Amino acid sequence: MSEDVFREIDRPWRLWASAIVVGVLAFGCLSGFVILPVIQGYQAGIDPYTAICRSLGILPGSPAARQPVSTAPAAPVSQVSWGPSLIARLNKPDAARGQEIAASVCAACHGEKGLTADPAQFPNMAGQSAFAIYKQLHDYKSGARANEIMQPVVADLTDEQMADVAAHFAALQQARWEQTWVRAASPQVETIVRTGDSARGLPACESCHNPRSGGPIETPVLFAQTKEYLALQMQAFKSGSRKNDLYRRMRSISEKLTDSEIDQLAQYYFEQR
Amino acid sequence: MKSLERLTLAHLWTAFIAFAVACVFGLWQMLARSPIPTPGFTPSNYFISVTAHGAAMAYVLTTFFIMGFGYFTAETALQRPLPGKRIAWAAFGVGLLGVVMAVVPVLLGRASVLYTFYPPLTGSAWFYIGLVLVVASSWVWCAIMIVAMRQWKRANPGRPVPLAMYATVANAILWLWTTVGVTVELVFQVIPAALGLVDTVDVGLSRTLFSWTLHAIVYFWLFPAYIAFYTMAPEAAGGRLYSDTMGRLSFILFVLYSLPVGMHHLFMDPEHSTGFKFVQMTLTVLVTVPTLLTIFTISASMEFAGRLRGGKGLFGWIGALPWERPMVLATGLAFFMLWFGGGGGLINMSYGMNAMVHNTSWVTAHFHLIFGGTVVIMYFAIAYAIWPQLTGREAPSLRAQRIQLWLWAIGMMVMTLPWHYLGLQGQWRRVAQFDYANPIIAAWGSWVVVSVAGGAMLLASALLFIWNLAAFHRARTPVQAPFRFALAIHPPERVPASLNGFGLWNALVAVLMLVAYGYPIAQFFIHDRPVAVVHRVDGAQP
Ligand code: HEC
Ligand code: HEC
Ligand code: HEM
Ligand SMILES: [Cu+2]
Repeated sequence: MSEDVFREIDRPWRLWASAIVVGVLAFGCLSGFVILPVIQGYQAGIDPYTAICRSLGILPGSPAARQPVSTAPAAPVSQVSWGPSLIARLNKPDAARGQEIAASVCAACHGEKGLTADPAQFPNMAGQSAFAIYKQLHDYKSGARANEIMQPVVADLTDEQMADVAAHFAALQQARWEQTWVRAASPQVETIVRTGDSARGLPACESCHNPRSGGPIETPVLFAQTKEYLALQMQAFKSGSRKNDLYRRMRSISEKLTDSEIDQLAQYYFEQR
Repeated sequence: MKSLERLTLAHLWTAFIAFAVACVFGLWQMLARSPIPTPGFTPSNYFISVTAHGAAMAYVLTTFFIMGFGYFTAETALQRPLPGKRIAWAAFGVGLLGVVMAVVPVLLGRASVLYTFYPPLTGSAWFYIGLVLVVASSWVWCAIMIVAMRQWKRANPGRPVPLAMYATVANAILWLWTTVGVTVELVFQVIPAALGLVDTVDVGLSRTLFSWTLHAIVYFWLFPAYIAFYTMAPEAAGGRLYSDTMGRLSFILFVLYSLPVGMHHLFMDPEHSTGFKFVQMTLTVLVTVPTLLTIFTISASMEFAGRLRGGKGLFGWIGALPWERPMVLATGLAFFMLWFGGGGGLINMSYGMNAMVHNTSWVTAHFHLIFGGTVVIMYFAIAYAIWPQLTGREAPSLRAQRIQLWLWAIGMMVMTLPWHYLGLQGQWRRVAQFDYANPIIAAWGSWVVVSVAGGAMLLASALLFIWNLAAFHRARTPVQAPFRFALAIHPPERVPASLNGFGLWNALVAVLMLVAYGYPIAQFFIHDRPVAVVHRVDGAQP
C-alpha cells in the first residue's frame, strides 16, 4: 500500500478530530467566559465587561456576586505578620548583635546561657524556637501580651533587634530538640499529650508542640521550660489574662484542663529534657 | 526463567508487596477513625500511616505494576524481544532505591505530609527525592515503550500496531505529559523548600501544578484495566473484541481529555477564576465519552461471546458467560463498581455539586471504589492471567482466585457505601479521630464500624491474593497454552495513521493544555503573588 493511500484515509480523521476538539474548546470558552458571566452578572447587577474580566481572573471577585463590603473593625490578637523578610532575618540573624543584646539586657533575668537562675519567676530561653521568642517579644511590644516587667524591656527594640536576639537564644542548646521521651506519671496525662481527649474536644498537645507536627510556626518548645512557668502560662490562658494566642488556640485548650492536669502536664514537659 | 519474565516479575512483586503492606495500614486507619479502641493510635501515627498507605497505593503499586505489565505487553503483543532490557533493569533499580528513600523518612515520622504535594507543609527532602527517582525510572519505561513501538512499525510498515501495545504507548505518552506538572512542582518548589533553600512558597502555583498531574495520573492508573477490558476479557469469555477502532479511539480520548481537566480538583480554591474552572469542567465531561464507549464495546463483545456459547434472549447471554474464569468475573465486578464510582465521579466534577462533597469522606470513598475497586480488581485479574506465562505453571486453584475477587468486590462495596454516606453527613477526610461523644458524630459511629468490616474483608482478600500468586511458584502443572491478547471480530487490515500513532494527538493535547492552563499558570508570574511561609515537619528546624 502506498503512502498516498494512507494519507488519503488519514485526512478526514485529522480534520474531524481537530474540528471537534477546537469546537468543544470554543463551546467551553464561550459559555465559561461570556454567556454565563454576563447572565449571572446581570442578575447581580454587575456590568458585562466587569463580569467577563472577573470570569477570566483579570479582575478580582466573582462574576455572579457583588463584592461584600465589611465594616467590622479588625481586632487581631497579635500584630505579628510572618513575611519572607522576617523569616529570612530569623534564619540569618546578625549573631553578634543578638549576643550583645542578650548579654546586656536579657541575661540579668533569663541567664547568661538562657537558663534562668530563678525558675519561679523567669522562663528559660535556651533552645526555645526563634519564631516563638520573636512572636512573644513583638506581642509584648505591641501590647498584645501584657506584662509589667517585659513590656518596658522590649519597648525600644526594633524588629530586627528582636529577631537577632530571638535567633541567638534559639541557637543555644539546640540539642534539646531531640526529645528523650519520658513516660508521664499518670496514663491520663500521657493520653492528653499523645492522643488528646476527643470527648472533651482536647487535641493532643503533641500535634502542635512537636517539631515534626503541623502546628503553627510560633508554637513554643515546651521541653526547655521550667515547670512553674508552664503551669503559670496555662493558668493565664485559662483565666484569659493572657490572650495573645491566635484563634484562641491555647485559651480554648487550657479552659478544658483541670488545675491538677495543668500541674501534671507542666511536670511532664519539665521532665522531658 | 526467561529474561522478560524475570523483569516483569520483579516489577509486579514489588507492586504487590507494597500493596499488601499498605492494606494493613489501611485497615488500621479505618479502625483509628472508628469508635473502636485502636492499638498504637496517636494522631501522629495516623498521619504516618496515611502517608505510607497513600504513597504506596498511589505511587508504588501503580507505577511498578504498569511498568512491569508494559514490558510484558511490548514483548508479548509485538512478538519481538523487548529493546533495552538492561536499561529497564537499571531503571527498576533506581525506582526501588527511590521507594526506599521515600519510605524510610515516612516511617520515621519525618514526612507526614500525605501523598499529595501541597505546600507550605513540607516533609523530609528524601521523601520527595525518592519519589522523583520513581518518576524518573518510569520515564525510562516510557522511552522503551515508544522505541519498541517504533521498531515494530519500521519492521511492519503499514500494519496496525496491536491494540494492547497501542494502548500501552498511549499510556506512556499520557504519563510523560502528566508528570510534567508534578515534577516541575517538586523540583522548583517543594524540594528547595524541604531543603531549606527557600523560606516561602507560592502555594497557588504549586496546587495548580499538582492539579495538572492529579487527574491524568488516575487515568495512567486506569489504563491497564482498560487494556484488559479490550484485549483480555473478550478472549477469556470465549469471544472476540467487538471493535478494534473503538478501542483505539477510547485510548486516544483518554490521552486528550485527562490532561486539561485537573482544575476540577481546585473548584473550591481561590487562586483561579470561575471561567477557567468552567472550561476545565466542560472538558472533564468529555472523559465520560471513552468510558461509555468502553462500556458499550465490552458489553457488545461479551454479548457476542455469550451468544456463541448458546445464550439466548435479551439477557440470556449474560448467564451463558463463563463466570468461573477469573478474568470474566473480574470484568463483571469491575463494571459493577464502575457504575457506582462513575456516578460519584459525575457529582465530584460538577462545579456546583463539588461544594457539597469537597474535602469530605465522600471523596476518599469515591476513589477507593473506582481506583481501589474497578482498577485494582483488574490488576488482580491481569496478574492471574499472565502469571502462568511468567512462572510457566498453571494455577493450582481457580476457586481461590474467584473467592479472592468476590471478597475484594464485596468488601469494597461494604467499605465504601457507608463511607460515601458519611461524607454526605459531613464527615471530614484526612482527620485522625472523631469525637464520638458528640451526639451528631456518635450517629456516624455504626456506619464507620460497617466500613471497618469492609476493610477487614479487603485485607483478607489482599492476603489471599498474595497467597494465590505465591501458589503459582509452588505449582507443578506446566502451563498449557502461551498467553496471547484478544483479537477483534474483524481484525483491522489497515488503520489511518492517526489511529496508529500519536503525532496528531500530541499536537491537540498541546493546544488544549495551552488554553486550559496557559493563563492560569502565567498569572502567577504576571501578578504580584502572596507567598506562604514554608512549614517543615521533618524536625530538621523548628
Ligand atoms: C527584668 C527581668 C527581665 C529582663 C531584663 C528580660 N526579661 Fe524576658 N521575661 C521576664 C519575665 C518576668 C517574663 C514572664 C512574663 C510573663 O509572664 O508574661 C519574661 C518573659 C519573656 C518571654 C516570653 C517567654 C514565653 O515563652 O512565654 C520572652 C520571649 C522573653 N522574656 C525574652 C526576653 C528577652 C529577649 C530579653 C532581653 C531583650 C528579656 N526577656 C529581658 C523577665 C525579664
Ligand atoms: C493547635 C495547636 C496547639 C495545641 C494542640 C496545643 N498548643 Fe500549646 N501553644 C500553641 C501555640 C501556637 C502557643 C503560643 C501561643 C502564642 O501565640 O502566644 C502555645 C503556647 C503554649 C504554652 C505557653 C508556652 C510559653 O512558652 O509561653 C503552654 C504552656 C502550652 N502551649 C501548653 C500546651 C499543652 C499542655 C497542650 C496540650 C494540652 C497544648 N499546649 C496544646 C499551640 C498549641
Ligand atoms: C484494605 C483495604 C483498604 C483500606 C481499609 C483503606 C483505608 C483507607 C483509609 C481509612 C484512608 C484514610 C482516609 C482519610 O484519612 O480520610 C485511606 C487513604 C488512602 N487510600 Fe486506602 N484503603 C484500602 C485500600 C486502598 C487501595 C486498594 C488503594 C488504591 C490502590 C487505596 C488508596 C488510598 C489513598 C491514595 C489514600 C490517601 C488519601 C488521602 O491522603 O487523603 N487504598 N485508605
Ligand atoms: Cu480528577
